[in-house]
Amino acid sequence: MASISDIALVTQVAVFHNKQAFDQLVRKYQSPVRRFFLNQTLGDEQLSDDLAQETFIKAYMNIAKFRSMSSFSTWLMRIAYNVYYDNLRARKQTCDIEDSSAVRQSANTGDSNIKMDIHAAMALLKPDERTCITLQLIDGYPIDQISKITGIAENTVKSHLKRGKDKMANYLRENGYGG
Amino acid sequence: MEDKNDILLKQLFADAAKQTIEDNGFTERVMMNLPEMTAPEMVESKVRRLSHLWTLFCVGVALIAFWLAKGWPILENVLAGGKQMLINTIEVFLITAPTTEININPWIVVLLLGFVLFFLPYQTFRKLSATL
Repeated sequence: MASISDIALVTQVAVFHNKQAFDQLVRKYQSPVRRFFLNQTLGDEQLSDDLAQETFIKAYMNIAKFRSMSSFSTWLMRIAYNVYYDNLRARKQTCDIEDSSAVRQSANTGDSNIKMDIHAAMALLKPDERTCITLQLIDGYPIDQISKITGIAENTVKSHLKRGKDKMANYLRENGYGG
Repeated sequence: MEDKNDILLKQLFADAAKQTIEDNGFTERVMMNLPEMTAPEMVESKVRRLSHLWTLFCVGVALIAFWLAKGWPILENVLAGGKQMLINTIEVFLITAPTTEININPWIVVLLLGFVLFFLPYQTFRKLSATL
């Protein structure tokens, strides 16, 4: 269920088009949403911020459709997931993925080694596996919430998590982590 | 093996999970790029507001008409008549019931119980969840 303060803010936005209330929602959720995109794009900050901005604009346009049966953050992450996959499809059509990975490498130069290794391990994963892994290990969502956000069946989420974790752990062990 | 993987990944992701991204003007950029709600949403809300005003106006007119036409005694008479009719019906039923044979189909009872115990609560829950 959505928290009372979120519901109050959403009501303010949906009924009175109160931009101040939406400002508070953006401030509250910008970090998890941008972090989600940062992990999906393997550290491409510019692309992450663009996608996060698109997510909040879509949330604003469709806020009247929000039902309090799930939390606002789950609803928002569902939009973020759709925005990311729309972008992924568009990039696949323009065969731009390699360029983006080049940007990613240059953007990562300031990162710590662990961060770079984690991103390198995540690059081995399929997009769905990466999404499930980041939603669980970084954002701390349980499997049923991940299923709600991604629209993927719970058993498939479990398979994605298992396969993704195996791939990442193997890669990281080969690179000297975990003894 | 799975547990070892979980432990390793949880250790490595622990810092990433704690990471908070500073706003650094992101919210301002989003707010500046928000579209104005002039399109269908606003039109819809204006129509809804006008509809509410029209309902309020009609209710007001009805109340004034009721007061001017001294509607209360009329309403009282109608209610008293209804009450008398109900009492008569119950009286007739109580007098005739012991001598009338009524066949009750158990399936109809089950259907009625199902309707009251399951369908009505389900519909109520569905409507409440849609409005909240």
